[in-house]
Amino acid sequence: SSRNTRKSRFETGESLWVNDCDSDDSWDDSVEPIDQDEIFELIRSISDPEHPNSLEELRVVSAKQIGIGNNHIMVEFTPTVPHCGLSTLIGLSIRVRLLRSLPQRFKVDIRVKPGSHQSEHAVNKQLNDKERVAAALENPALVDTLEKCLATAGTRRI
Amino acid sequence: MSSDLPYTIRCIATLEGHHDRAWQVAWNPAKPLLASCSADKSVRMYAYSTKPSVSAGSDDPSAVGAGRADAIALTHVSTIPTGHTKTVRSIAWAPSGRTLATGSFDANIGVWEQEEGDGDGEDGENGGGGGTREWECATLLEGHETECKGVAYSAGGELLATCSRDKTVWIWEVHPDSDFECMGVLMEHTQDVKCVAWHPSEQILASASYDDTIKLYADDPDEDWVCVQTLAGHQSTVWALAWSPCGTYLASASDDLTIKVWKRAGEHRWEGNLEIKGAHTRSIYSISWGKGKGDGGLGWLTSTGSDGKINVWDIQEPPEGSKELEHKLIASLSSSHDINDVNSVAWCARAGYEDMFATAGDDGLVKAWVVVPA
Repeated sequence: SSRNTRKSRFETGESLWVNDCDSDDSWDDSVEPIDQDEIFELIRSISDPEHPNSLEELRVVSAKQIGIGNNHIMVEFTPTVPHCGLSTLIGLSIRVRLLRSLPQRFKVDIRVKPGSHQSEHAVNKQLNDKERVAAALENPALVDTLEKCLATAGTRRI
Repeated sequence: MSSDLPYTIRCIATLEGHHDRAWQVAWNPAKPLLASCSADKSVRMYAYSTKPSVSAGSDDPSAVGAGRADAIALTHVSTIPTGHTKTVRSIAWAPSGRTLATGSFDANIGVWEQEEGDGDGEDGENGGGGGTREWECATLLEGHETECKGVAYSAGGELLATCSRDKTVWIWEVHPDSDFECMGVLMEHTQDVKCVAWHPSEQILASASYDDTIKLYADDPDEDWVCVQTLAGHQSTVWALAWSPCGTYLASASDDLTIKVWKRAGEHRWEGNLEIKGAHTRSIYSISWGKGKGDGGLGWLTSTGSDGKINVWDIQEPPEGSKELEHKLIASLSSSHDINDVNSVAWCARAGYEDMFATAGDDGLVKAWVVVPA
C-alpha cells in the first residue's frame, strides 16, 4: 500500500505514532489529541542548512509558533535574517519532518512569521504548493541537502 | 450532510493499485476505458461496462434510479510502467481514443499507443476496453527544462499542448506515425504553468499558472501562436481549467478557494461572469464540466481539492434580467477519499454515462462515482 511505501522510505523511529503508521485502518476516535509541544519536539533539532545549530537554538522555531486545529497543523517559523535565501529549504525541512512523523490525517501548513522575510508571500506560496513540494522531493540534490538538515532531527527524545 | 440536495454522489468503484499519490484521471473519449497516473510513475487502465444482469430489463445504459450505482462495473485491464524517471503528473487522451499522452516531472512527455492486434479484436470481451494488448511508447517528446505539469489534445486531435514549471507552454502538431513538430513555445507566464485546456471545438488554448493568471492563445494568420488575452482576478495559483461543453464559458479553480467562470464576449475576448465562493475550505485542485443529466442547461460542473470534498453544480444560462450564470448546487460529498486530498476529478463524456465521474487521491486510490437522484 502507499502507506507502507512511505514508511519504508521515511525513518519514523522516534515518532510517537510509529505503530499507527503501520496500520491501514482508519483513525478511530481513541487517537490521542496532539499538542504544540509534541510538534515542537519533532522539529526543534532540525539543523539549519548553513549553521551548526538547531532551529531551536537559532530561535527559528518555537512551541508558541505552532497552531493545532482539527487534523490541521500550522507551523510558523522565523528566518534568521529577512533576506534569508534558505528560508524555503528550512520550511521544506520542517514539512518533510512532519510528513514523515505524523499520521497522514494531518494537513500541514507552513508559514514564515509575518514581517520576518522580505519575500514572505513567495516563500509561503512555495512551501504550501503540494506539486512543487512533491517535485522537490524527487530532486536528488535537494533531498541530499534536506537529509543533512534532518539527520539531527531525531537526536532529542521526549 | 446536505440532505436537501436533489442528487447524491454514489461510489461505484474503488480502484487500488497505485503505490503512491494518484494525480489524474482521464476517460477515453471513444472506448469504455479510464486511465489514471501516479507518483509511482505508472499509468493504470480500467475497462467499464454495464452489468448484463442489471441491464437485462433495459438496454439503456442511462437508466437512472436505485440500480444505477450497481449497474456499472470497472475492472483493471492494464498497467503501463511508462519508464518515466519521476512522477507521472498528467495524462490526456487523443480524441480518437487510440493515443494517450503522459506528462512527467522528469520533463518529458510520453506518447502511448496500443500495439497492433492480431485477431483479438479492437474490443475485448469485458466491455470493449481493448485492454488486453500492450501499450507501447510511440514517441518521447523532449524540450521542457523542468517538470511537465499538464498535457492536452485539441478537439480535432491535430495539436498537443504541454506546460511546465519552466513557465512555458508548448504547442506540438501531431503528424502521422507519431511524429510531432513543435509549432510554438509560448513564454507568457511568469511562473509555473499548472494546466492547459483546449476549447471543445476551436483551436483556442487556455493555460493556468502559479502566477495567478489565465492566458488564452490562438493561431494568428502568420501561423504563429499568440496570447490573445490574460485573465486576472484570482488571488493565488490557478490549478485547473474546464471549458463548458458548448465552449462559451471557461471555468477556473484556484488556491484562493474560488471557482470563477469566464464568458466569451468576442472572438478572442472573455470576461468574468460568475464567482463561486465558500464551496471549499482548502485549495481547489480540479474541476470538470460535463453535459450532465439535468434538463438541458449548460451541464454539470464539479470541483474537488485538498479538503476532500466533491461538489456538483447544475449550470444554467442567466435568468431573465441577469447577466450572471445560474448555478445550483445539486450534490455534495465530504471525505470522498477519507482524509486525503483529491487531486483530480473528470466527467465521463461518453453517451449514456454523463452522470459518471472519476477522482484520484493522495491515498493512491482511483474512484468512480455516479450522480443519482436523491
